[in-house]
Amino acid sequence: MYGKKGSELVKELASSEPGQLSAFNNDLFAQVIDECTGHLHHLGSLIRKIEELKKIEEIKKLNNQELEESEKQLLKAHNSGALIHHLSLLRNKRCLMAYVYNRAETIRSLGWAVERVLPEEIEEKLSGSEKEYFKNHAASLQSYMSELDLDLAVDMVPPKDPYIKVRVLEDIGNVLLSDQSANLARHAILFLRRTDAEQYISQAIFTLMLW
Amino acid sequence: MASQADAHAATFSAAELEFLAEDELIEIVPNMRMDPLNLICGDFGPFRPQIATQVPVWLAVALKRRGKCTIRPPDWMSVEKLTQVLEAERDAEKFQPLPFHYVEISRLLFDHARDDIPDIYMVRSLIEDIKDVRFHKIGTGLEIISRERTYALRLKNLSAMEANIVRPFVTRALQTFYKLNSPDMIQESDSVSNRQPQTANRGPRRQLKDR
Amino acid sequence: MANYYDIDDVLAEEEILPVVFQQAADCFGLLDSSDDTNEVEAGAKAELPFWLARDLHVRGVVAVDVPPYFRKVSRTRKEIEADAAHVDLRGRCQYFYELGLKIAPLVGDKTIGPFLLVAFQTRYKEVLVRAHTAASAVAPKHLTLLTNEEAKLYEAGQLSTAAFKKWRMGGPRLQRAPVLGRKRKPIE
Repeated sequence: MYGKKGSELVKELASSEPGQLSAFNNDLFAQVIDECTGHLHHLGSLIRKIEELKKIEEIKKLNNQELEESEKQLLKAHNSGALIHHLSLLRNKRCLMAYVYNRAETIRSLGWAVERVLPEEIEEKLSGSEKEYFKNHAASLQSYMSELDLDLAVDMVPPKDPYIKVRVLEDIGNVLLSDQSANLARHAILFLRRTDAEQYISQAIFTLMLW
Repeated sequence: MASQADAHAATFSAAELEFLAEDELIEIVPNMRMDPLNLICGDFGPFRPQIATQVPVWLAVALKRRGKCTIRPPDWMSVEKLTQVLEAERDAEKFQPLPFHYVEISRLLFDHARDDIPDIYMVRSLIEDIKDVRFHKIGTGLEIISRERTYALRLKNLSAMEANIVRPFVTRALQTFYKLNSPDMIQESDSVSNRQPQTANRGPRRQLKDR
Repeated sequence: MANYYDIDDVLAEEEILPVVFQQAADCFGLLDSSDDTNEVEAGAKAELPFWLARDLHVRGVVAVDVPPYFRKVSRTRKEIEADAAHVDLRGRCQYFYELGLKIAPLVGDKTIGPFLLVAFQTRYKEVLVRAHTAASAVAPKHLTLLTNEEAKLYEAGQLSTAAFKKWRMGGPRLQRAPVLGRKRKPIE
């Protein structure tokens, strides 16, 4: 059946968790494009046949003649055939576009969650142009943020207190923070500015403690 | 029924509502001496021991955590008031008027100022009961949507948290009903006489338990 | 017109409809790829996806019949009248309402609209009750009966109720989850 592979591609999107990416299905994607090439080929040959019949019709008209009944039938059949291939092309195009578009949306949202470099397990799921797209999008975000001088990718949950209590998980040594210098020794418990602590929390050097 | 972006993207998270609720004013009794605070949202203080003053909830909680004050629970959080509300809530069809952020504020105070709330266990269980009764009402109220043609809901006295919880469900349900109810799909015998006034006032609105 | 890129709309149009060809069509392997004849005869019966059937129907190449579950006299209609909430509509058509909305104007069947509405009205109540009460951990059996639209509605209610419960449990989660969950690699 025409368009089956295209819809499989879209079904793949529908069955993945929102916000998650599965590996780009190069194989199926190429198969859909192959099907399109096939449709284009058939469409072309049908249109040539239709044009030939039209020419015959013109000539017969000059001689005050009409197409024979069988020729009329043939013309109709060619017409509907061409229509079917045309619709199939449109359908496959829509499936391909929906696949790429919805993935691009997810990729853009990744740009807010990770900075610049994608973790390997996500990166390998992207196609070549998607990787490029992510890189450019992340770069635009970064340049916008540096222009504003504002980190728009920070934690969106309203903070409860500017200071938080953390426990150090790794020996780092002395570090200069915005309002104090701290000795980051393993198991030490510190009371720090939330903004100072965040980057260490995201690198798993600190763990947050209850107030 | 298509093209719904994530319905949750349009709503607040509970933490965000809590953040908004923290701007409400509450009375504290400081045990220290401090000059007035001139903040963007207003001036608070001066703070004198044993002299009550009004501050935003976030400030009250921050001072409380540092042992600098006691918090006076708002009037509506007394056993007496809450018992009245609970009874009225059970008897009447209407929602009883409660502070817009009663869910968030009561939780903040239970978490951070438990020793300042007289009869805290009683107060806590009364608020739980009130909330349960109200949620039950919301549930039965939402059945109305299915019975009559409804384009909008007016929920008088519904609190911020309650509205936020039902919002994704209600908007989605209304949207589906709207599509299935469209004049293209449903030909009513009286549709011609009805359509005119309907467009004039943007369709009938149901009032949820508020007549 | 729905969003061109909308996944649900694309998939709803993939639903299969019974059609009868009104004229021959010159179309290699449309119906059966093992068949090497180039032609579909007039009068041939076939099953085509909605996206193809719609335009062919409009141009008179095929005549679309409604799927069994939309017919005026059908088991589905009887079951909906009897006990709508427990009918397995998902098994009939995952995009029951979406397809119904598309097909009714196409074939001009005025009874489909009210039928969809009645089905949704009755089933809505069941979804309403369950979405706001059921424990979120176990996927209830009821879910397997829901169409795409109903399942999304259920999910909307379920997610916000669960989010509220989580907030009420409170604890360090409020500060912890977003900062840690987002960027930190799993350790231990």
